[in-house]
Amino acid sequence: MWNNATVMMLAEGTLVTLYMTLVSTLFAYILGLPMGIALVLTAKEGLRPNQIIYKLLDTVVNVVRSIPFLILLILVIPLTRAIVGQSYGATATIVPLTLAAAPFVARMVESSLLEVDKGVIEAAQSMGAGLWTIVWKVMLGEARTSLIVGGTIALGTILGYSAMAGAVGGGGLGDIAIRYGYHRYQTDIMLVTVVLLVLLVQILQYVGTKLSKKLDRRLK
Amino acid sequence: METMIRIENVTKTFSGREGKVEALKGISLSINKGEIYGIIGMSGAGKSTLVRCLNFLEKPTTGTVFIEDQDLSSLGERRLREVRTDIAMIFQHFNLLMQRNVLDNVCFPMEIRGEKKAQARKRAMELLEIVGLTQKAESYPAQLSGGQKQRVAIARALANNPKILLCDEATSALDPTTTKAILKLLQEINKKYGITMVVITHEMAVVQEICTHVAIIDAGELVEKGTVEEVFSNPQTAAARRLVFMADKPTEKMKGKRCIRIVFDGKSSFEPVIANMILECRAPVNILMADTKDIGGIAYGQMVLQLPEDDTAAERMIRFLQERKLTVKELDSYVE
Repeated sequence: MWNNATVMMLAEGTLVTLYMTLVSTLFAYILGLPMGIALVLTAKEGLRPNQIIYKLLDTVVNVVRSIPFLILLILVIPLTRAIVGQSYGATATIVPLTLAAAPFVARMVESSLLEVDKGVIEAAQSMGAGLWTIVWKVMLGEARTSLIVGGTIALGTILGYSAMAGAVGGGGLGDIAIRYGYHRYQTDIMLVTVVLLVLLVQILQYVGTKLSKKLDRRLK
Repeated sequence: METMIRIENVTKTFSGREGKVEALKGISLSINKGEIYGIIGMSGAGKSTLVRCLNFLEKPTTGTVFIEDQDLSSLGERRLREVRTDIAMIFQHFNLLMQRNVLDNVCFPMEIRGEKKAQARKRAMELLEIVGLTQKAESYPAQLSGGQKQRVAIARALANNPKILLCDEATSALDPTTTKAILKLLQEINKKYGITMVVITHEMAVVQEICTHVAIIDAGELVEKGTVEEVFSNPQTAAARRLVFMADKPTEKMKGKRCIRIVFDGKSSFEPVIANMILECRAPVNILMADTKDIGGIAYGQMVLQLPEDDTAAERMIRFLQERKLTVKELDSYVE
């Protein structure tokens, strides 16, 4: 049973899972980072308070976050089809993964940016810094370690979601675990996929923590 | 004298959860070029709000601020940001970028202005030289002491050759020795570059140490202003006295009838006046309150004396003091 084909399948599954996770995280940040920044800026105490935009973003984030991922996966099938051309497979899974993760990322970014010392922002304002300088150089710059920690958590969560996508033919390790372990009672293969998933999360977590520590200039 | 900052009838109202709070109530003040102007008040008096009105980090609710005859309320966002590069600010908690090293912190204001990196670094090293921190250029703020952090902040503040330096409780987080050193540095910078300084503080000692002028803010109102000598030697309002003499509490019941307040305003010599008076008049006095300070080598302050019951002795004492050009004011009773 542990023939080449199985090993190849597991190796490919691992790569597919990584592909889905990394690309979805990237897209989730492309959507979620601006949303998180906008949440901080438009909040009551923010640099550009705007009740309407804040409430709107806040509601969207909350609504999407409260939809269970499995349901979202099915709900967005028409959209997935429109974007990718098909509703199954690894690439197709990226659409619901991104949509599910973006609001989560937005909240992570929001909380990281809110940690930035208001005094430092005020100092930058007093130097005549514009809004974008403050966002890029002060807020994102000062919050970078917290953002990296957030990114690591996001990666782990998205990896978990991607395994769930296996239930609807999403591909990757989750798909293998369900097809072999659940439908064909091959517990050993299922266990191996679980171990591989655990290893992936461990590695991502390790790298993320190391990186954030390495880049943090506050402790030394 | 050239006017650098003119504050005209500035009010600031914050609307919070508990209704409206009037932080500033119609403040007018004029600060000349090259002065070190102290603004002193208890915490919550509104001095931090006032200093933030000077660079429009807080926009006044009514009234306006002129910087070199330029009305800040008339400026658009972009122009206001340009003007702010002329008005540097240092803070109680330093507010350095924790993820950048000392050199990059000092470069930051130049970066905002679009200065070339090499040019900025060169200037930053010169500035670190001025504040005595060239050794620490590569260090991060977390590795520095409070005094060193404030020096970095001062170097950063000087980066764009500002005309004005606003100091918001800049020494309040520092120990007395470090405070002295930082104040000395500020004074040197003022002398050397002629930068006008506005020093916000709740500490008398800071004003005494470096300021030429002072304004006293109490509950959002400007209650007194003038040169440090004027205000500190003879404070007119209760709020000013509270600050200047700290404990201006009602004194316990007194036996005698006549009390006088003597004001030392720098005109008297170093003669031990009270001791000589007692020796000459051969009568005791009761010192009810005394608070004199040494400002720039001259004694300022006031004293409240209870005179002997004997009227002739009392009169002689008052004459003795007046001959020495001290301001003597008879009090009905020393309870204010």
